[in-house]
Amino acid sequence: MTLLRHILAKLGWYAAAFAAALALNFFLPRLLPGNPVDTLIGQALRGHASSETKQRVYETYIAEFGLDQNLWTQFLTYIGKTVQGDFGTSFSRYPADVASMVADALPWTIALQLPAVLLGWLIGNLVGAVAAYRRGGFDRSVYLSSLFLTAAPYYCLAVLLLYGLAVALPLFPAGGGWSFGLKPEWTGLFAVDAVSHWFLPFLSLLLVFIGGQAIGMRSMAVYEVDADYVRFAESFGLADRKIIGYIFRNGMLPQVTGLALAIGTLVGGALLTEIVFSYPGIGTLLYEAILNKDYPVIQAVTLLVLVVVLVANFLVDVLYGLIDPRIRAAERGER
Amino acid sequence: MTLASLTNLTAHYDAGEGRFHALDDVGLDVESGRILGVVGESGCGKSTMASVLSLNPAPSLRVTSGTLAVGGKDVDLTDPASHRPLRGGTVALLPQGALNALNPTRRVGALAHDILAAGDRRIKRSESLRRTAARLEALELPPRVLRAYPHQLSGGMRQRVVTALATLRNPRLLVADEPSSALDVSSQRLLVDLLRRLVSDGLVEGIVFITHDVALLSELADRIAVMYAGRVVEEAPARDLVASPRHPYSQALLASVLVPEPGTRGRRLAGIPGSPPDLRAPIAGCLFAPRCEHAMDKCTAERPPRLVTGPRDDSCWRSAESEEAVDAA
Repeated sequence: MTLLRHILAKLGWYAAAFAAALALNFFLPRLLPGNPVDTLIGQALRGHASSETKQRVYETYIAEFGLDQNLWTQFLTYIGKTVQGDFGTSFSRYPADVASMVADALPWTIALQLPAVLLGWLIGNLVGAVAAYRRGGFDRSVYLSSLFLTAAPYYCLAVLLLYGLAVALPLFPAGGGWSFGLKPEWTGLFAVDAVSHWFLPFLSLLLVFIGGQAIGMRSMAVYEVDADYVRFAESFGLADRKIIGYIFRNGMLPQVTGLALAIGTLVGGALLTEIVFSYPGIGTLLYEAILNKDYPVIQAVTLLVLVVVLVANFLVDVLYGLIDPRIRAAERGER
Repeated sequence: MTLASLTNLTAHYDAGEGRFHALDDVGLDVESGRILGVVGESGCGKSTMASVLSLNPAPSLRVTSGTLAVGGKDVDLTDPASHRPLRGGTVALLPQGALNALNPTRRVGALAHDILAAGDRRIKRSESLRRTAARLEALELPPRVLRAYPHQLSGGMRQRVVTALATLRNPRLLVADEPSSALDVSSQRLLVDLLRRLVSDGLVEGIVFITHDVALLSELADRIAVMYAGRVVEEAPARDLVASPRHPYSQALLASVLVPEPGTRGRRLAGIPGSPPDLRAPIAGCLFAPRCEHAMDKCTAERPPRLVTGPRDDSCWRSAESEEAVDAA
């Protein structure tokens, strides 16, 4: 009962955070200097029209997008539409529907990043725990290579991978989400083609994520390795596998927070990956939207990130209790 | 009957350029059904010896010689890699700091199963839990402890759970490495009673109890060995050692603490002048000579022999010479 009340109280905090973020989400893009319609007209008319025509087109767009109303009215409209699940139409790709633009880009981003984050988290943390326990040469090589993977600029690593495995040794295609001449559909041929395009960007993200997680876990685990409970377990000749399991379980708590944040922000897309590997995804969508001051698209993407971050954090809050019995006890109001 | 006998144990830690000679030719015997106490000031090598004796030497410790004969088996102490199957089954460790010795994210029952499975891979979980419950009951712990996490147990209960787990695989020899140092006086009392019961009920055959607390040891141990700077300087039945220590270091050690006995009230405490020797350089003579009020020229030149008289022995030139005088007469 107290657990339920605890979760409800937590939900209240999440709702408040959501409301505040929603307001920021609306107002922040509008604080950008400039005006989306200017950009749009600049592209559409290319300076050929008379200033009078420009003025008419301008006013038409302003009225069409509702930019002639004051900010407060716009905000209320935004809230009303968002609640109905209507994210409006894109300014820059008018009359494309924002919801379907995001829906087109999202599967690529999730398919690319979710496996990389989950697998990278698992491998990175295991490697970090083993390194801390084994010490010596293994530890040093893990630490140094992890440091290299995280400290080297990501685009260098990505370009090196691209050069190595797509140009020098052409195992994988060099870019794109699928080959020229195919179109996204549910066929075996397309699936094989898409996976071969997917692999390199996936690998680049996986390596970087493994590196970061391994460093984090290693620095947690070096404290666990010297803990009394590890010594006691060793004094019974427990298998290394078992003891590393103990260390992993006790050292993973802060790492789980990292996982939640990574999952939360992954829907925002991996801009650099998408650029280097010319891969479709949310990152490019958001980038172009910001350049064109396409408010509805920016808002839709940041809202998506916002919701996923909040949900992931909420799940982690609940998960903490499952991982650490002491937190569970505290949540139940026990000692 | 001798349960376990440690002979000729010499070990050092690598310390940069040189070596830190932590243990020098240490030998001990544990009788069946008895408790052997090992006492000494901090840094005398008693915990290092406990780690070797319990077959859990630190990775940085180099054991250059030594054999442990326990339960009819001879264990070569210079080869730690061969120890793993013997840990917990033949020799078990009761660790320092029992409060944190339990994995905080594992239920006691699950930890017990891990421990039993380390000795017998095919043991069933239900069988583990049954055996653990029986052992917990023998130590007056309720069966609900099996399902508890460490944070749900009181300090005293945790101490008993750790003791129950340490003896779960019925080890022949239990090595207790300062298990009492973090406990309050009444918990120490309970621990002492518990260890006595382990031996009298036959749950373990013998105990080596390592501490710096002479007063506690005088109540618990059957025999006491005094260590100084990596060597055993004297070993005797507990009563004899407390009543009439022979080695000057034992005398100085006992003079510096209060042992509850008649006449304690009026006694003055004396400290030991000087400080222990630097063990990085090998020392030829008696290690205590620089601090000893009875030191002779011979003491700094030659290492004193171990002199056995009846149930006790000590390593001091003074004892050796008075013995010679007796022999000559």
